Amino acid sequence: MIFNSLPFFVFIGIFLPLFFSTKRSESSWTWASVSFATLVEAVLWYGTSQGWWNWPLHGLILAATIGSRILGPLKGQHLISLVGSYVFYGWWDWRFLFLVGFSTVLDFTLGLLVDRESDDKKRRQMMVLSIIMNLGFLGFFKYFNFFIDSAAHLLLALGFQPHLTTLRILLPIGISFYTFQSMSYVIDVYRRHMPAEKNFLKYAAFVSFWPQLVAGPIVRAKDFLPQFNHNHGFDWDRLITGTGRILWGFFKKCVVADSLSPFVDQIFMEPDAFTSINLLIGVIFYSFQIYCDFSGYSDIAIGFARVLGFKFNENFRTPYFSQNFSEFWTRWHISLSSWLRDYLYIPLGGNRGGKLGTYRNNMLTMLLGGLWHGANWTFMFWGFLHGMYLIGQRQLGKPFGAVMSGLRFPSPLKAVTNIALTYFFTCLAWIFVRATSFDKATDVIAGLTNLSGYTIVSMMNKFWVVKGVLLIGILLAVELTDLKMHWNSLAHRSTPFRIAAYATLLVLIAFFGSFGSGAFIYFQF
Amino acid sequence: MKKILWIFGTIALALLLDRAGGWFLAKITKESQFRYSRLYNGNEEADILFMGNSRGLSFFQPYVEEKTGFTTANLSYNGMPIELANTLVKDYLDRHKPPRVMVMDISLLDSTRMDNKIGYQFNHYSPYSGRLSQLLKDKVPNDYYAGKVSHLYRFNSEVFQRTFFYWKKSDKDWLLDRVISPEMVANVAAQKPLRFSYNEKMLNHLADLVKYAQGKGTRVELVMNPYYPEFVPKLVNLDTLIMDVQRTAGVTVKKYINEVQKTEAFGDYQHVNKVGAKLYLDKLMQDGVISNKPN
Repeated sequence: MIFNSLPFFVFIGIFLPLFFSTKRSESSWTWASVSFATLVEAVLWYGTSQGWWNWPLHGLILAATIGSRILGPLKGQHLISLVGSYVFYGWWDWRFLFLVGFSTVLDFTLGLLVDRESDDKKRRQMMVLSIIMNLGFLGFFKYFNFFIDSAAHLLLALGFQPHLTTLRILLPIGISFYTFQSMSYVIDVYRRHMPAEKNFLKYAAFVSFWPQLVAGPIVRAKDFLPQFNHNHGFDWDRLITGTGRILWGFFKKCVVADSLSPFVDQIFMEPDAFTSINLLIGVIFYSFQIYCDFSGYSDIAIGFARVLGFKFNENFRTPYFSQNFSEFWTRWHISLSSWLRDYLYIPLGGNRGGKLGTYRNNMLTMLLGGLWHGANWTFMFWGFLHGMYLIGQRQLGKPFGAVMSGLRFPSPLKAVTNIALTYFFTCLAWIFVRATSFDKATDVIAGLTNLSGYTIVSMMNKFWVVKGVLLIGILLAVELTDLKMHWNSLAHRSTPFRIAAYATLLVLIAFFGSFGSGAFIYFQF
Repeated sequence: MKKILWIFGTIALALLLDRAGGWFLAKITKESQFRYSRLYNGNEEADILFMGNSRGLSFFQPYVEEKTGFTTANLSYNGMPIELANTLVKDYLDRHKPPRVMVMDISLLDSTRMDNKIGYQFNHYSPYSGRLSQLLKDKVPNDYYAGKVSHLYRFNSEVFQRTFFYWKKSDKDWLLDRVISPEMVANVAAQKPLRFSYNEKMLNHLADLVKYAQGKGTRVELVMNPYYPEFVPKLVNLDTLIMDVQRTAGVTVKKYINEVQKTEAFGDYQHVNKVGAKLYLDKLMQDGVISNKPN
């Protein structure tokens, strides 16, 4: 189920009342919510003939509602959360629920065993088993064909005629996210950073928590599991701030990202057919498309979590205003970069192994970060470029700083130069993420550098460009002013401002938004 | 209760902004010189009516008007589904004096090329046509009802962007203005075969459209516009399509697929450019499909 679709709004209409109704003091909510859920389904079934009168699904909702009453407020809420999350995920392909379920059972069991075991060697073996099993699943579903294809190419280059089998494997949405989340739980228990969770229902609700299940943010068990320790009732303040965040997320995804996508798609499909200026606009648009797509998802996830009473850490902090690459990686996909730092970079030795050791660790972390994003050499190369950027920054940062000081640039100009340079190299690397092959990526770079022309052909392209520039302008203006104005807190404090801001966002989403068609880019990762 | 009020306030203000924006954009739609705005304003009176998908845009109107002295209207659109074509042509015929002739490219009978969701793009014209409203209600109910809730949503489409673009200028002179790339020319052999994917329902829609036009006294010419010559062998079931169309519509289909031979007359494998359009239209005039105005 994707956020920008009608089924999701039906899901929310049913889930929220059920979730909050688990508080004993609000027992009348339970039956009110069941009636409401039935009514929503019936109206949709009758009104649109969409076939949503799904008996097994409705039966499941009813059973979960009754089950939650029997289990009591806390466990009842865990049950509603778990069932809701499985419905949310299973809407896309219910067969992969077994994979989520298996991963949950495996890491829950291994977490308990690691916690109870006193022998360090055995503890380590169990932790390694968890890593092997999790990465094994990830490897099979995400990288099997990639490795087979790569091996076949290598053998062919060596003069052999390989007959290797590839399988038609469907990538389970979100596998990279929940696998990392579940795996890090066992590692944290092994490191004694947290005790093992003994309540299976709570653990399962944590692993599958729907707002972040398919595209993050990747949450840490030690931060997030304790949030399941108390029942979450309805709260107006959370609704207000959460709604603002959700609307802003929808604006970024449905309005900005999806409006940029048609232009970007055609540029990267046939780069040869476009002039340099078109390619340049296409690359810049893609940088904002991927940013708005992914950070929009994070905003929606953070907003819904807030409405439900949970707190996620921020996943993006205006990354294109970074002045260098170390800073970029503290602002872009923060939950992944901090995961890689804590579970890969530091265990590898971090920056404690001298210059060469640090460079090696930087490069390995970025290469694996690239591979995490997708099973393609272009992603690896993107990681390689970022590894090189970090190394280059360590090597050249000081001499570059000295040159800037020598030029006596005023501070703001220095900052702008740094931001522009970081953004330029970030965009260069994005080309390899968007292009479907190295050939296409090199076509784009060749087209950019041959300065072939300055015209934008076709009326629709002109439209897309004008619309894209306008929307990016709105985005940047809001994000820049937010550093001083803190719009969301203002919306919390001032009712007239909130009404005006939320109504404007709703209207913009209705007029510019794309619904149901544009899946989130990060679903494929 | 006070805490709930802001939700009602937000919804009320959003609806107010939506209705005000919708009213303004509807005004633009009405004033626009885009072909469908002219259609629904009843300002598209013509002697010759053209219809098709993106290939139907090769009926280059300024050239026909210059050569024949007749007025023209072209209702073609990229990925036009036959049901929408049927609706638009009927709406045209009901609002205008019937044209002398309607020329239609039948390559729109291909479900792989047609955009079944395109109907919703015409949502901003639905208030002007009961027939169009009914089609949208049947084909894209979610979008249709969303347009009822939010008037601005009706204008959230590529077709509206074109409507806006042609607010103050005519769209009659638009035609593909590029030459097929050398890479495309070199790769033509590697292209997949093109199989027209159609069914009896689509054929019946076409037959219904033809009958309706003929009933109004309009001569109907069904044609198959040119393809890039090297691409023609890729059309695997063209003759079957033509036979089926002739059987259901009762009109002979004129085949012009090989009529334009010059490479520089094509924008890609399936579309002639301005040069090709002129060559093709000359042939249509020569064959009497579109004849000169009697002096």
